[in-house]
Amino acid sequence: MSKQKPTAAPSLEEQLKRLEEISVLLDRGDLPLDEQLKIYEEGMKLAQECRTYLEQAQLVIQKLGGSPS
Amino acid sequence: MQEEAVSVSELTYAIKGLLEEGIGDVVVVGELSNYKHHSSGHRYFTLKDSSSQIPCVMWRSRTLPFQPEDGMRVVVSGKLTVYGAQGKYQIDCVSMQREGVGDLYVAFEKLKRELAERGFFDPVHKQRLPVMPKRVGIATSSTGAALRDMLTTIERRFPAMHVILRPTLVQGEGSGIDIARAIRDLDACGVDVIIVGRGGGSIEDLWAFNTREVAEAIYECSTPIISAVGHETDVTIADFVADVRAATPTAAAELVTSTTLADLMYSLDLTTDRMTSSLADHVERLSEMAAAFTDGRALRRLRERVEIRQARINDLSSRSLRSITTTIQLRRQQLESVAALCKTLHPLAPLGRGYAVVELNGKPLALQQSLQPGDIVQVRRQTETSTVIVQSTTPTNELDTP
Repeated sequence: MSKQKPTAAPSLEEQLKRLEEISVLLDRGDLPLDEQLKIYEEGMKLAQECRTYLEQAQLVIQKLGGSPS
Repeated sequence: MQEEAVSVSELTYAIKGLLEEGIGDVVVVGELSNYKHHSSGHRYFTLKDSSSQIPCVMWRSRTLPFQPEDGMRVVVSGKLTVYGAQGKYQIDCVSMQREGVGDLYVAFEKLKRELAERGFFDPVHKQRLPVMPKRVGIATSSTGAALRDMLTTIERRFPAMHVILRPTLVQGEGSGIDIARAIRDLDACGVDVIIVGRGGGSIEDLWAFNTREVAEAIYECSTPIISAVGHETDVTIADFVADVRAATPTAAAELVTSTTLADLMYSLDLTTDRMTSSLADHVERLSEMAAAFTDGRALRRLRERVEIRQARINDLSSRSLRSITTTIQLRRQQLESVAALCKTLHPLAPLGRGYAVVELNGKPLALQQSLQPGDIVQVRRQTETSTVIVQSTTPTNELDTP
């Protein structure tokens, strides 16, 4: 099948990792309010992107050359 | 004419001689039936085919390389004997093997011992499987039920998967070499985890997974690799060498999707809920700090408002960012009005509106204090302070007081 190179967009793992970071930062609550609002919005956007990605995900099956059996 | 009668024992002795000497050592193939492992340790069974059967015994001292079951095709070697006490003949079995398995069994044990000595099975070589792999390499027959089962399972549990299939022969001539090559191909193409396997079959069908080529390919594979050969009861050399042995191909597919899509969605919801409530908590703390400046009633009202808003924040779907921003802005305005209120309550604030403060001996005059003619007081206004001598004092008309 096609050789789909991943785009420059961050991978799902990276997004989930960032989301976890944000969650921890908000939980600590020691950033200025403005900063907290900013990362809150970033986190909500990230979460939505992850959901959309997962909802639209489809199994990709790629065949490597091998025995014709 | 009457022949001379012989005793039963004499006849039996004659039969025994005929059978044990005339037939003696035998190697017989047949189907096991009525197998009984007596508490004494001896085994009694019958060997049969479509038209005949023969009783067999295998004494406790003989070793058995497998667990016999009725219906198995086996090859026994032993000696035909006559058991006079019951008038029957039977095979005294020295050894028994599954038909066609003997040689394979020996080869299996030999390779297993050799690889164990070379450290192929050592736990230190076992790699952990990735928690959330995105690329899975599968080496199996492209037409088998095993592949179908694995793809169905992966798609059901985590459809965001990229499967790289390397079709292989899984039985017959050259299958071991092909499987070994497939493992190396997948290892080279950068997958997170590899599954190598096939569906159930006879021990001959599964034999490719007992070959040295496959064992070495698995051992040298740098990607974590799962073997999934046959059914739960089938154990192959590949299973010993692989990082993880899955009982079936379906079980292997479950192992590579240990984090399911549903799990991820749920943890996303948990995370965003936690973020929202953390932020709401923080805002509430700020509001409480502000409310502490005002009297109890105001504090209570503010608290109520915060609680109402907090309930709203908690109800907010994660998609409505705008509402929470608005809520924060509202709360900020409240903070500012509280600060303004604090300002107006300052004792010197009225001076800004033209009022004056009267001080006696450097202290503001108390409500109950009365001034006498001759008292010297300070009249403090916004811009200047005057020293004043009291001429006279009369009670203020009460109607004028607020």
